[in-house]
Amino acid sequence: MKKSNIIKSLTLVFGLIAYSTSFAQCDSIATLCDKHISSNFISDGQDYRSLLLEDEIAEFSMTLYGGSTYRFAACSGLSDGNLLFSVYDKERNLLFTNTDYANAPYWDFKINNTLDCIIEANLNPSSSASGCAVLLVGFKQN
Amino acid sequence: MIKNHFNLKAQVFVLATLTICSIGCGSDEPSDDQIEAPIEEAGPDSQLMEIDGKVFSIPSPIQTAMLIKSSGTNYNKDILNEPSRVTNYSTSFKKAINLGIYGADLGYVTMYDQTQDAISFLTAVKSIADDLGVSSAFDLELVERFEKNIGDQDSLLALVSDAYKASDRYLKDNEQNDIGGLILAGGWIESLYFANNAVEMTNNDDIKTRIAEQKTTVYNLIKLLTPYYSKPEFTPLVDDLMELNEIYEQVESNYTYVKPTVDAANKTTTINSTTTINISEDQLKAISEKIMKMRVDIIS
Repeated sequence: MKKSNIIKSLTLVFGLIAYSTSFAQCDSIATLCDKHISSNFISDGQDYRSLLLEDEIAEFSMTLYGGSTYRFAACSGLSDGNLLFSVYDKERNLLFTNTDYANAPYWDFKINNTLDCIIEANLNPSSSASGCAVLLVGFKQN
Repeated sequence: MIKNHFNLKAQVFVLATLTICSIGCGSDEPSDDQIEAPIEEAGPDSQLMEIDGKVFSIPSPIQTAMLIKSSGTNYNKDILNEPSRVTNYSTSFKKAINLGIYGADLGYVTMYDQTQDAISFLTAVKSIADDLGVSSAFDLELVERFEKNIGDQDSLLALVSDAYKASDRYLKDNEQNDIGGLILAGGWIESLYFANNAVEMTNNDDIKTRIAEQKTTVYNLIKLLTPYYSKPEFTPLVDDLMELNEIYEQVESNYTYVKPTVDAANKTTTINSTTTINISEDQLKAISEKIMKMRVDIIS
């Protein structure tokens, strides 16, 4: 086997191992994050996740309906406060950032008028250099 | 951050071409051309990167069912897909998208406390979920818990939503995002079909507004499914969504930013911004007809 093929094969194997480890990590984080969506909120039925390296930013695009309160739970790693998240409207006005509130792992949003928003999430640089970012969303009627 | 500068049709074309090439243009020994033409060839505005870097959300169909019920619209069993059709769906595509349809139906009947119908839809959901390999999310324990909580609507809605979240998690763990996307698409199409039906019955303005508010969700759904556009069953679905998007492009909305208010003690931010949407009767009719056609294709 050519040397270049051996290098390619090893790269592929290590890549696959890292990839599957990251996915397993996502699953554990999502399970831990579930506790932040308390029983008075109904899950939106989705599991938002993104693998992040260093200062990469994950972007989540969603519509929040008026007359509802939403809970966002944002997690990475095995403890709270590892994921920094900010909510923007479609004009990129900042509506909220958890960095103003001690990196709170969850926050509620009371929506009076339906809103298209963008949630940006990045890893807390003091906690980890890479990892899986998980965002969970629950809702209830006002 | 890379921004969206292409129109949606161009994005679908570019992504579909890249997907086909990534599947069909490979060989064991890449040619010099391939080595010298890496992904950067698509340029710094590559939409492939944008799609990979973003996660798109589709609102829960239960929220629209809640609005329909609160508007005073009567329960209408005739608008639901027949649970007995579950045996007609033979491909993974049909099973997945109808798992979404049946999930929305299950949410709807649960909202209206139709216990017997709910059990029928839960049985249909379980059957398709077993076929798709997501039986861990819709297992016998779920059915038992559902039966035990009959009469407690909030618990039932939470059970159904948690089961769909568990299936979404399982599918992402197993890199079956195409199946996950179809389930979301089915649920969304069914909820929009409910909303159109409710408008025909009641002419309710809140529901008309809810239909108009789907503009961004149509766009998100196209983005979610575009990576699979080259798969034969996905092509007509994405094409239909693009046609729907063209109708939505004509719907006018005006957004006004208002500073939010924060209640830090209760970890709550109130969003005070406002949006006004103007949707004409012709636009509502066009959306309704398109959704009805798409749904017939899906459930048949």
